[in-house]
Amino acid sequence: MNHTTGPVAEIRDLRVEIDGRAIVDGVNLRVRPGKVTALVGASGSGKTTTGLALLGEYPPGARVTGEVHRSADGLVGYVPQHPAAVLNPARRVSALLHDIARPQVRGLPRAERRTAARELVLRSLSDAQLADGEALLRRYPHQLSGGQQQRVVLAQALLLGARIVVADEPTTGQDALTKSRVVGQLAAVAARGIAVVLLSHDLDVVRALADEVLVMRAGRVVESGPVERLWTAPRHEWTRRLLDVQRAAAPRDGTGIEAAQPLLNVLNLTAVHGRTTVLRAPHLALHPGECLAVVGRSGSGKTTLARCLAGLHRDHDGEILLDGVALPRSLRHRSRTQLAAVQYVFQDARASFDEHRPVLGQVARTAVRLRGADDRTATEEASATLGRLGLSDDLAHRLPGELSGGELQRAALARALLARPRVLICDEITSGLDTVTRRALLDLLAGLVGDGDDLSLVLVTHDLDTARLAHRIAVLDAGELVEQGPTGRILAEPQHAFTVSLMNATAHLEAGSRFRART
Amino acid sequence: MTRRRFTLGLAVVAVPLVLALLGPLFTGAPGPRSGSFTLGGEHWLGTDFVGRDVWRQVLHGGRTVVLTALAATALAYLVALPVGLVSALTHVRRLEELLMRPLDVLLAVPSLLLILLVASVFSPGAAGIALLVALVNVPDAARIVRAAAGEVAARPAVEALRMQGETWWRIAVGYVGRSALRTLAADAGIRLTGVLYLVSTAAFLGVGVAPDAADWAVMVDRNRTGLFVQPWAVVVPALLIVALTTGTNLLFDAALEKTPRQKGRRP
Repeated sequence: MNHTTGPVAEIRDLRVEIDGRAIVDGVNLRVRPGKVTALVGASGSGKTTTGLALLGEYPPGARVTGEVHRSADGLVGYVPQHPAAVLNPARRVSALLHDIARPQVRGLPRAERRTAARELVLRSLSDAQLADGEALLRRYPHQLSGGQQQRVVLAQALLLGARIVVADEPTTGQDALTKSRVVGQLAAVAARGIAVVLLSHDLDVVRALADEVLVMRAGRVVESGPVERLWTAPRHEWTRRLLDVQRAAAPRDGTGIEAAQPLLNVLNLTAVHGRTTVLRAPHLALHPGECLAVVGRSGSGKTTLARCLAGLHRDHDGEILLDGVALPRSLRHRSRTQLAAVQYVFQDARASFDEHRPVLGQVARTAVRLRGADDRTATEEASATLGRLGLSDDLAHRLPGELSGGELQRAALARALLARPRVLICDEITSGLDTVTRRALLDLLAGLVGDGDDLSLVLVTHDLDTARLAHRIAVLDAGELVEQGPTGRILAEPQHAFTVSLMNATAHLEAGSRFRART
Repeated sequence: MTRRRFTLGLAVVAVPLVLALLGPLFTGAPGPRSGSFTLGGEHWLGTDFVGRDVWRQVLHGGRTVVLTALAATALAYLVALPVGLVSALTHVRRLEELLMRPLDVLLAVPSLLLILLVASVFSPGAAGIALLVALVNVPDAARIVRAAAGEVAARPAVEALRMQGETWWRIAVGYVGRSALRTLAADAGIRLTGVLYLVSTAAFLGVGVAPDAADWAVMVDRNRTGLFVQPWAVVVPALLIVALTTGTNLLFDAALEKTPRQKGRRP
C-alpha cells in the first residue's frame, strides 16, 4: 500500500451531540485517494453521521466539535441507502445528468457544447458501470431498479468530479449476485483514484472491498486497521463478536424427517400476476418439524410462493394441501383453524403494524381471534411471548413507531406465534438487520423449530447464509423451481447452473477475493 | 401548539354557531322597513335589499343554514362511508362495480339541475333540501372515501389483520377508516362550504328556502347588488360562513394532530 499519498480528507476528533447525547464521539478518519475505507458497525453506531460529516452535513440541532479537513479539490459525492430519495422523480435520467454536465462545457463554442455534454454524460454512465447507458437516459428514476438508481447517483457524483464517494449501505437487502456487482462497481471507482468511504454492516462486502476498516460501536471507533489484520487478529472484543456471528451456523442435518407424512403439500402450483406467469412449482412438500428455505434472487417468485401458501396471493392454479385437505386460495375463505395453522411474517415489519395502537394489544388479538382466548389471557400470553423473544413490557406498550426495525420484526414474529401455527412462513425477515440482530433472530427461529412442537418453518431468503439454517433448500429462478434437496447437498454439490452461480457469488464474497488488480 | 390551535378553532367556530342557534331568541318584533341599502341611523348594520334591518336578519338567518348544511354533510357521509369502505376492501370486482357505477351516473348529472328537477316535482321543505343536497354529494364523497381507503387497504397491515382473522368492522373502521381520517376530515370541511352555497343557490332559484328568507347564504346572494353601497349586508353573513368552515377545519386539524414527537431526521 502506498502510504506516501496524502489524504484527500481527514476527520480529527469529531464529536456530534444531539440534546446532550453523543452520537459520534472522538472519531478520527483519514481518507486516501484510490483506497476504500470502511466504517463497520450495527445500525445506530454512528456510521452515517460520520460519513455525512465528510460532506459537511450534520443532523438538525446537532452540536459539533472537532475538525473536518478536505483538500482544495476534494468534492464529495454521497450515494444514500435509498437512492430514489435523491433523484427528482419528475425528470428523466438524461435531464438529471445534463444539468450537471452543462456548466462544465460552458467554455466551449456554442455549437460544440451539446455533443461535449452528451459525451461527458455517457462517459460518467460507463464509469458508473451502467453498460446500457443510452437506453437508460430516456427513463424516469422510478422505471429503474434499485441497483440502477444507485449507479445513476454514482454517475452524478463522478460527473461532478467527486474525489471522494461516500456509499451508505450499498448492498443492504441485495442478493449475492447483485452484491458482487456492487462490489465490482465500487472497486472500479476506487481504481480511478477516487477515495471510497463504505458504510456497511455487511462484513462480506467489507472484506472483499476495503483497505482500511474502522469498527464503530455506540459512536466510538473501537478498533481500526488494515482489513487483513482485523480479520486474522481482531483485538477488540466487539470486533470478535461481529466476526464470530458471521462465521457461525453450520448446515443442519435433514435426515429422518422426510420419512414422515408431509404437513403441507404443493401440487402443480402456477401463479399469475395479471397475464404473466410469475411462478411454477410442480411439487414441493413440507414435513412436520422441518425448516425449508426458499432461495432465489429478487424477482424470482419466492415471495409469491410464500404468499400463495399464506392465502395472500389468490391468482393461482394447482393445489395446496394441509394434512391432505386443500386450503382455500384466499385467506378470506379459510377457517379460523386453517388461518391459525399457516401464519405469515411480513418482510416489512413496520408496515405490517397499525401505527395507531400499542404493539402489545395488536399481538394479543391473534389469540383472541384465532384461538378464542379472552382479552386478559391473550394479553398475558402476548406479553410472555414477547418477553421470550426479548421484548420487555415497557417496549410492548409503545406504539410501533417508537420501536426499532429489529424489535418490530420480533413483535411480528410473536404475533404469528400466538396463533400456535403449524407452518410459519418468514418472508425475508432478516434482511435490513445488522449481523448481530440477524444472528439473534435466526437463533430464535432455530430454537422454535427444535422445540419439539412440530412447528415447520418456510424461510424465504436471498441469503445463503440464512438458508444454512434450514433442513432443505428449494431454489427458484425466474419463477421456476429449479432445484430442491437437503441443505448439505445443495450447498456442497449444487446441480442446476443457477444454483452454482449463486453459490459461487456467495463464496466469492466470503473468501474476500479481491476484485481489484493491486499494484 | 396543538392546544392553541384547538382553542383558536373553538373560538372561531363558536361565533357563528352561537349566533345561529341562539340568535332567534334575542330578536324582538320586526321594526318598520326603511329604504334599501341604507347605512347608519337606528340600524346598526344598515338595511338590506328590501330595507330590513341587517343585524336582525343575521340573528335569524343562521339556524336554517347551519342545520341544513351540517345535516346534509353528515347524511352524505353516512352513505358514502360504508359504500366507499366496502368497495375499497372487497376483492369481488362485481360488488365494487355494483356499488360505484350507479354513483358515477349520478355524478354526470349537474347537481343543481338534479335539485331543480326533483324540487319541481315534490316541492320539498328544509328537510327535503337537506336530503337532496346530501344525495348529490354522495358520489363525490364515496369516490374520495374509496380512494383514501384504497391506498390504506393495500398496506401489509391490512393483510396482517386478515391473517389474524380480524373482523371486517375492526379492519374497515378501526384501521382503514382511522388511517384515512385526515383526508376525509379535510374533504368534509370543503364539502360543508360547498353544501352551504348549494343550499343558497337553490334558495336563489326559489327552491327550499324562500328567496327573501333570513338566511346567511341567501343574504350574501341577494345583497350582492348593493355591495358597494352597503357592504355589511354581504360581508357579515359571508364572514360568518367562512368562520364556520374555517373553524370546523381547524378543530379537525387540532383533533387529528399527532402528539409532537422527537422525530430526528436520519442523516
